[in-house]
Amino acid sequence: MVAAMSAPSTFTGGSEAIALAVLLTEFAMLRAPLSRSQVRLYALQSLAVSGLALFVAITKHLDALYALAALSFVLKVVVVPRIVLRLLRESRVELVASHRLGVATMVLISVVAAAFGFFVVGSLPVHARLLPTPSFGLAGAEILVAFLLVILRSDVVSQAVGFFSLENGVSVASLVIAGGLPLILEMIFLFDLLVAVVVFGVLIWVHHGRTQTLSTDPLEQLRG
Amino acid sequence: MLTPIEIQGLQVLTILVCSPLLSGVIAHIEARLQGRRGPRILQPYYDLAKFLRKETLIPKDASWVFVAGPIVAFSCYLIVPFLIPVLTNYPLPLGYMGDILGGGFILALAGFSVSLAAAESGGPYAQLGSSRAMTFGALIEPSILFVIFTVALVTSTDLPYFEAATARASLSQAIRPAHLLAALAFFLVVLNDTGRIPVETHSSTLEFGMIDEARTLEHSGPLLALLRWGSAMNQMLLYVILLNVFVAPWGLAGTRQAGAVLLAIPVFVGKAVGLGVLFALVDNSFSKLRLFKITEFMAAAFVIAILAVLVLYLGGG
Repeated sequence: MVAAMSAPSTFTGGSEAIALAVLLTEFAMLRAPLSRSQVRLYALQSLAVSGLALFVAITKHLDALYALAALSFVLKVVVVPRIVLRLLRESRVELVASHRLGVATMVLISVVAAAFGFFVVGSLPVHARLLPTPSFGLAGAEILVAFLLVILRSDVVSQAVGFFSLENGVSVASLVIAGGLPLILEMIFLFDLLVAVVVFGVLIWVHHGRTQTLSTDPLEQLRG
Repeated sequence: MLTPIEIQGLQVLTILVCSPLLSGVIAHIEARLQGRRGPRILQPYYDLAKFLRKETLIPKDASWVFVAGPIVAFSCYLIVPFLIPVLTNYPLPLGYMGDILGGGFILALAGFSVSLAAAESGGPYAQLGSSRAMTFGALIEPSILFVIFTVALVTSTDLPYFEAATARASLSQAIRPAHLLAALAFFLVVLNDTGRIPVETHSSTLEFGMIDEARTLEHSGPLLALLRWGSAMNQMLLYVILLNVFVAPWGLAGTRQAGAVLLAIPVFVGKAVGLGVLFALVDNSFSKLRLFKITEFMAAAFVIAILAVLVLYLGGG
């Protein structure tokens, strides 16, 4: 038989598979027509991120990461999606036509962006302490796709969810380069997210109160 | 001890004989999932026997292409089992005749000749089906190519036997991200190529959503039997590639002993039925996409396939 390309170890393979799941949910968010399903996808993505932290904690025996996994689970899988879903329920808007481009076009652009992020970030001479370096490239790709989500969808929920998932990408990246970061710093990241949730919550609320829609198109009229 | 030639013949026979059975079992399970009693498991055989006894009607202006299409397609489906691991996990002599790309070409030729025959019939719905089948076939093609690239990068060859052997070699090969992504992308390709929801309602009689099914509307008698049988064989061949190359390349005969090879037949049919149940579940839990939304499905398959190549390039994932 021909020599096959050697497989990564189970740890590398497993952690990369989880990082890939994070990236794939980002693509799904880009496509998801309903704001509600976007928020659910965000919860799923956060679940994958906390799963990654837990996976590293178990395999590398890092107690701080257990706490981080638990905290990010509570905050990003339960609390934040609940708050946003509640805001959505109050605004009673089911569907916002917010795709600026066709879905297939958006996906193709994102594939290019993801490949760019993947190779550029992945080729940085970063010494990964805990996770395999390709996960760093995947995190870079995820961050770029999250940017595209904010750019290519014109509704407030996409902007908020895009920003939150940006934070998920940063979490993965920080797990790669600084997995053993002091817990207090990781907590600061998470509280950063909480501030963002409050800001976006107010934004969604005020915007919907003024324009009766979640689309950001009315904001275009404000330009001079 | 069977000779390699006999085993190769047996592979073709397995596909030829068991494929209507697989369709029957899936249709039965699907009906059960929907709370219906469903047709008998052997119903596809009775249907084929009925069609073979009926007369063939050929549209007035149709040329020989109308007759040749189903025959060419059927022979293509008979050739592919030579190239892929249906029963054995070691390469058979004719297995080197073509790689995955070669097998894909032959399947594409089959689809093309069916479309050509449908277009030749002059029937509007058959022509609509053939035009749609060609369009969506072209759109799903990039995903198939990237799956093949993944296989080629992992095994440094693109013979299906080697990909299966690599996946079997160790657990870390079977769960490496690139392999999982390629298998997932190929799963979506199979959903498309077997005319399943979310792409197509394969059992519907409503022409608006028809793609592959519409192509056979103008054929009758033995030609229709060949088309139906061919599409059952196409489904089983795609299952073989998905199961025996990507997802579950276990349970194949490792020797040329008659017992081992014959045992591989029921094992494979069992695996295929398991996969069929999964497809029936997908069929029942999702809704069909609108025709112009099918590109989204193709885009999803493409993203997954391209990610498989990307992770391989960067990190050996």
